[in-house]
Amino acid sequence: MPSRRRTLLKVIILGDSGVGKTSLMNQYVNKKFSNQYKATIGADFLTKEVQFEDRLFTLQIWDTAGQERFQSLGVAFYRGADCCVLVYDVNSVKSFDNLNNWREEFLIQANPSDPENFPFVVIGNKIDIDGGNSRVVSEKKARAWCAAKGNIPYFETSAKEGINVEEAFQTIAKDALKSGEEEELYLPDTIDVGNSSQPRSTGCEC
Amino acid sequence: MASSQSDEPAPEEREIDITTSTEPGSDVLWVRTGSEQEMDLPSSPSSSGYAGEGGGSTSATTGSLIEIEHDEEVEQEQMRIQNQIDEISISDSNTSWIPGKRHQDEDDGSISWRKRKKHFFILSNSGKPIYSRYGDEHKLAGFSATLQAIVSFVENGGDSVKLVRAGKHQVVFLVKGPIYLVCISSTEEPYESLRGQLELIYGQMLVILTKSINKCFEKNPKFDMTPLLGGTDTVFSSLIHSFSWNPATFLHAYTCLPLSYATRQAAGAVLQDTADSGVLFATLMCRHKVISLVGAQKASLHPDDMLLLANFVMSSESFRTSESFSPVCLPRYNPSAFLYAYIHYFDADTYLMLLTTNSDAFYHLKDCRLRIETVLLKSNVLSEVQRSLLDGGMHVEDLPTIPQYRTSHLGQHTLPSDSPESFKEANHDIGGPAGLWHFIYRSIYLDQYVSSEFSSPISTRQQQKKLYRAYQKLFTSMHDKGIGPHRTQFRRDENYVLLCWVTQDFELYAAFDPLADKALAIKTCNRVCQWIKDVENEIFLLGASPFSW
Ligand SMILES: Nc1nc2c(ncn2[C@@H]2O[C@H](COP(=O)(O)OP(=O)(O)O)[C@@H](O)[C@H]2O)c(=O)[nH]1
Ligand SMILES: [Mg+2]
Repeated sequence: MPSRRRTLLKVIILGDSGVGKTSLMNQYVNKKFSNQYKATIGADFLTKEVQFEDRLFTLQIWDTAGQERFQSLGVAFYRGADCCVLVYDVNSVKSFDNLNNWREEFLIQANPSDPENFPFVVIGNKIDIDGGNSRVVSEKKARAWCAAKGNIPYFETSAKEGINVEEAFQTIAKDALKSGEEEELYLPDTIDVGNSSQPRSTGCEC
Repeated sequence: MASSQSDEPAPEEREIDITTSTEPGSDVLWVRTGSEQEMDLPSSPSSSGYAGEGGGSTSATTGSLIEIEHDEEVEQEQMRIQNQIDEISISDSNTSWIPGKRHQDEDDGSISWRKRKKHFFILSNSGKPIYSRYGDEHKLAGFSATLQAIVSFVENGGDSVKLVRAGKHQVVFLVKGPIYLVCISSTEEPYESLRGQLELIYGQMLVILTKSINKCFEKNPKFDMTPLLGGTDTVFSSLIHSFSWNPATFLHAYTCLPLSYATRQAAGAVLQDTADSGVLFATLMCRHKVISLVGAQKASLHPDDMLLLANFVMSSESFRTSESFSPVCLPRYNPSAFLYAYIHYFDADTYLMLLTTNSDAFYHLKDCRLRIETVLLKSNVLSEVQRSLLDGGMHVEDLPTIPQYRTSHLGQHTLPSDSPESFKEANHDIGGPAGLWHFIYRSIYLDQYVSSEFSSPISTRQQQKKLYRAYQKLFTSMHDKGIGPHRTQFRRDENYVLLCWVTQDFELYAAFDPLADKALAIKTCNRVCQWIKDVENEIFLLGASPFSW
């Protein structure tokens, strides 16, 4: 019996197609970056073991395509998520505007027990492009949105250069862990004594 | 790979002989009812829709469908070595098998992991891993998510996935509310067998936790049940191991330790006294065999529950060291609630299980046990049990040579014989008369079976496992829906002659030398049935049975 309990955290990454979700995930998990653009066609899963305050846990990261195909997974994709990462491209207004839709889509589908306090993390990616000159969404604007949505932690990253990626995922892990903390006693029923109407089988039905 | 040293050699069956049936119009025996949905796994990842943009050479644990497939040509050598290692570690008798998870270091990226012949997984409907036979659950989180994606994908289409064939692999799914069970196997066992095994694994989980876990998932989809199963790896691994040596796992019947009628009666009588004092079930067991079993009024214990309970008790080391009082659930009796089991070992093999609904009954049951123990010692039950363990059960070599036909019983069930000429003993050097190597007899009304000891031609673990697999296949084919009772099947391949005979009262499975004469084999089966009838008092638990029919 393992003395130290391990925890598995399901993290899903949402955002428009092309904002760099897959790149972020690969950068974090494999410390590498591929410049070739390939539209994610379905869902993909990566895992990473993380140590945090003397505890070992595993991030199970779910990656989607932007809009279309992942819809086929529906609720199943979102079910039981411990944290949701919303990603946009700081060089694209549309990808930022869509954050709201992604957040709402998540809350509807995942239907978390406490939507107000469900842990989200927002990432503004691709800050490296053009030395930041082609940027169209300001950090201020992004932070204001995060504040309005219940103080969502915010990070600006470059998956290409590996800037801030580790830090962002650190927070993701921490928040996911916090939300999964509430422990409950497991107390199944016991059969009543002297009850003659118990379900019973009469031998093998095969 | 058809290599003879592989762990589970691929059966190369040739059906030389015809199958026969005593009932006209039912001679088509190998029909499959197409009730299960089968779908072929696309070999190209891009057509699956879930393969992800395979980052190519990542060594990280990405989950995608292609992982199920593997390159046949590569690492043949490595695999052969691995198989040999496996063989060594599971050879010999069941007692030498060491329970617990092996190959903990593996994940779906390991070649050795992919080459394993039979994987079992439990996961939640959010894709979180709960149990894996091989490898580390957490390292397999990506793989587990992929399995969930497959299930959900099909479910979203308003359908359910039951079987996926991928090359020589079968992927069998069993969805139980928020719990998904998956088997990936290249053992060529029938789908029905694999599915039955998943059902048992689910049942084993219920024994430990009850169906109340469903409520936890309803309340909180993030629910992680692995902590609740902490330390139960050995329970699952020993159950999975039993799929290859314990016929109860596919016969859905239990077996008794052979004992004289008087001895079993003595044990039954003292258990009955206990049952009358508020105990629901009282069972005295020797390993996985029943010595005696008593149930309170109207309560019946399903053979599968007995199997799962005995496995739970025998695979948990702590029960051996001291008397215990543990919550357990009997899934066939009531899957949603716990009972309490008082468990005590009298010696290394023999243990008592007293099941009650009363969580405060420990001291009462301890008193019961002391009383039972006194009686068992006084009436020499425990020493008789040890003696029976040493003697073993029915040896095919001891099959009585002169059949004493009594038309009352066997007259209506005598197998049709091709050549009614008189008996000619073709006693081969090894095994029993007429080349009889082994048999299993299952009494339908008693829910009990008796299995002969293995004779010398099937003395190794490998041979025994292979024979059980062959029986299992036979069992599945005989239990195909839509075919009436009174059927026989005769199959000959290079390994054995297999004969199966199913009536309303019993099922007989017998294995003979591959060169055995058919007519003689049939006669021998009749003699086996007669023999069993003659000794039924000693091999079965009769009369004071808890089954309510
Ligand atoms: N310059 C730059 N390019 C990036 C960055 N992150 C991703 N990309 C590129 O953006 C494209 C889309 O990335 P991808 O990870 O597939 O996006 P996804 O559809 O959200 O998964 C690819 O060509 C990436 O190489 C980044 O931080 N900086
Ligand atoms: Mg992508």
